[in-house]
Amino acid sequence: MRLIFSRALIAIVVAGLLSACVTTPFEESPVSGNPAVIALADTARSDIAEYRYAQAAASLERALRIEPRNARLWHELARVRLGQEDYPQAENLAKRSNSYAMNDGALRHANWKLIAECRRELGDLVGAEAALQKSKK
Amino acid sequence: MTLLLLMLALAGYLVYLDHTVRQQFEGRRFALPARVYARPLELFVGKKLEPGQLVAELKMLRYSANDDPTRPGQYSYKGHTVSVHVHDFTFWDGAQPARRLSVNFSRGAITALTDFQTGRNIDLTRLDPVPIGGIYPAHNEDRVLVRLEQVPNSVVDALIAIEDHNFYNHWGIDPRGIARAFYTMVTGQRVQGGSTLTQQLVKNFYLTPERTITRKFNEILMALLLELHYDKRDILETYINEVYLGQDGNRAIHGFGLASRFYFNRSIEQLELHQSALLVGMLKGPTYFDPRRHPKRALERRNLVLAEMQRQGLITQMELDAVRYRGLDVSDNPGVGASAHPAFLELVHRQLRRDYFEDDLRSEGLQIFTTLDPIVQAAAEHSLSRRLDQIERARRLPADLLEGAVVVTSALNNEIHAIVGGRRPRFEGFNRALDAERQIGSLMKPAIYLTALSKPDRYTLVTPLDDSKLVWKEAGTDDWSPENYDKEFHGEVPLRMALANSYNVSSARLGLALGVDEVIETAHLLGVEREMPPFASTLLGTVNLTPLEVAQMYHTLATGGFHMRLGAIREVLTADGKPLQRYPLKVEQTIGAAPAYLITAALQDVVREGTARRLSQYLPPGINAAGKTGTTDELRDSWFAGYTGDRVAVVWVGNDENKNTRLTGSSGAMTVWGDMMAQLGPEPLVPPQPENVERVRIDVATGLRADEGCSDTVELPFIQGSAPEKTAPCASQSTGKKIRSWFQRVIGKD
Repeated sequence: MRLIFSRALIAIVVAGLLSACVTTPFEESPVSGNPAVIALADTARSDIAEYRYAQAAASLERALRIEPRNARLWHELARVRLGQEDYPQAENLAKRSNSYAMNDGALRHANWKLIAECRRELGDLVGAEAALQKSKK
Repeated sequence: MTLLLLMLALAGYLVYLDHTVRQQFEGRRFALPARVYARPLELFVGKKLEPGQLVAELKMLRYSANDDPTRPGQYSYKGHTVSVHVHDFTFWDGAQPARRLSVNFSRGAITALTDFQTGRNIDLTRLDPVPIGGIYPAHNEDRVLVRLEQVPNSVVDALIAIEDHNFYNHWGIDPRGIARAFYTMVTGQRVQGGSTLTQQLVKNFYLTPERTITRKFNEILMALLLELHYDKRDILETYINEVYLGQDGNRAIHGFGLASRFYFNRSIEQLELHQSALLVGMLKGPTYFDPRRHPKRALERRNLVLAEMQRQGLITQMELDAVRYRGLDVSDNPGVGASAHPAFLELVHRQLRRDYFEDDLRSEGLQIFTTLDPIVQAAAEHSLSRRLDQIERARRLPADLLEGAVVVTSALNNEIHAIVGGRRPRFEGFNRALDAERQIGSLMKPAIYLTALSKPDRYTLVTPLDDSKLVWKEAGTDDWSPENYDKEFHGEVPLRMALANSYNVSSARLGLALGVDEVIETAHLLGVEREMPPFASTLLGTVNLTPLEVAQMYHTLATGGFHMRLGAIREVLTADGKPLQRYPLKVEQTIGAAPAYLITAALQDVVREGTARRLSQYLPPGINAAGKTGTTDELRDSWFAGYTGDRVAVVWVGNDENKNTRLTGSSGAMTVWGDMMAQLGPEPLVPPQPENVERVRIDVATGLRADEGCSDTVELPFIQGSAPEKTAPCASQSTGKKIRSWFQRVIGKD
């Protein structure tokens, strides 16, 4: 009985660890403490899911007018441009996100990965590798 | 034979007229102006906003104060709560219905936002945007189209009673009216009167205003043809949209749709009987019966219309009695002509011309949503006008010697918040913010210092610069020997102090060491698109830029090196509210984050201890604004460009004929800048510190590392690895002191 219990406990812990690996920490936390910004980011996310990129960008820009230093919002906007295959914009927006990311290592990581992807798409393999290295720091 | 030819000619003419009438009536779409709106005011909990600012915005929207705001367009303001019934409005991202909101305030921010009806919290909503003008068709005709179904019966009844009571029965003309007209003409008077609504419409639509017999003849024929082809409702609807109903400055008010808004601040559906009667009464002479300028006349005319309606049985005696003693109920805010902010509107128009045909802008009824912030625009206009008046009086300068311009943008995205083109902002004249190309003087210097700070192996904020006499020889030009403003040389000065004090000689020498071309390249990276001559004097700003170009340059500094092309438009919608185009935010990092961070620190020193230190008279401590003064030869131009945490602003003060203004950058433009920013409650400037930047405490006297042992120190940012390695003599960690402190610890006393 005790054995089963401890095994179950281990299983739960392992499952928890695994799930933590799947979603990066910054995506689990709310994008902002401001309900107005959260609402706009949610709208943007559902627009992205439906490939309505122009609408998503409009909502995110509106959110950024409320919280212009929110690194998460800049990252979301970079993802919209990535979805539209506008790689130069996506890269620059990710850099903008990084400039506000401060100690959010997970977000920095995501931004550098996104930058690496943009550079790869543009054929800049050296730049992509450099970005990937930065993402691992 | 002659008769036959005559008949043939007449028939041919009729065919021609018929063609004209049909083609124009059917092909005719009313030319609708593009409508231009300010940014909508966003409302959410936590928003920095004073209740007074909300009320000011509502007044600009012509909302009326009402203890119980049950109808859209009304608001009440009691204690810390503004209750407002917002209009419905279609934005780029969809329609927002009318609803009543309660907005609570505390300490300059919104603390609660609820739906009055449901009591539920609202995350985010916005007011309808303030209209700031239009881009108008020929003759500045403005109108809001309405369909006949929207028009209240009272308007139609009054119209028919007064202008053409036989409208539904005639064929376009009224034989008795025409007989009367011919009679007056035969007796030598001018041709007048006797027109049916159809004839009036034909006159406005197809004919020139002269009064001749041929014209009258054409009018009759065309009226008959119009009635032959179209039913009464089409003709009536067109008439209601066409007629001229007054003047707002240079803007002509056409149609009942716009007139209801212009005179009563209501949509046409909301018109009451007495208001309908007034508008119809005004048709006889919109200027003569203008209810704002001639209320007594207008009231008499209105009551005449009402009495006539009662006489013809269109309203009862009771209805008449119920309204005849009512006031005119005209809204107070009469509008401001084509635009209250012509300078901003001009920028919008220029930007639109890149993407649209001029004809479409003036006829398609596009809805243009701009970035103008009315609160900022008002502060900018006010500060410029007021400060220039004050300066002229205080310095006994000739009145109107000075002119000026202001550009204000966000420091965090690419939006332009305000444009002032001169000290008389309503005046649609030379737009100095966009078109005055003036020498920028020392405003160029940050490009030199930024170029230097991008080379951390050679330059840091404390690198000593040489401010001794300089003679520069260049083939093809005269020797160049710049002087400092105080006519002195300052020997060796730390880099940041050379910028803070705007020393010309050390700055020029630095620029020459870096290369003029490289400095110009930095200016381009900052967003100056104009070509600049590669001469040494360019380093000290002998290039001409407009205030808007300067704003672009300093904007890139403010964003920490991210170039974003400044824009005035967010979105464009079609006349019926369908999204047409959006101008998205585009960013490009053109300057490294670390050098950008350092140059901002240096520009903060300009304000803290340099040429702009008197800004502290305007701004509360802790804002840590960054900025640069600029003064040109013979005091022709006074500039200030700077930024806070949330806004970038550039002010130019000068004289249109290049006269001496007796002002420096800090005694002229900077005072306008400070006065304006103070009104706007600026956010402190705290740029995010890049990873590869460290802060090091520096001994001011030596420019070496300091610690608690040093009395006069400053903490400065350095790109990693570039900070001085040596410690200042004053530092307790300097080698001599280390031994002494060890000794003190051992001995146990000082």
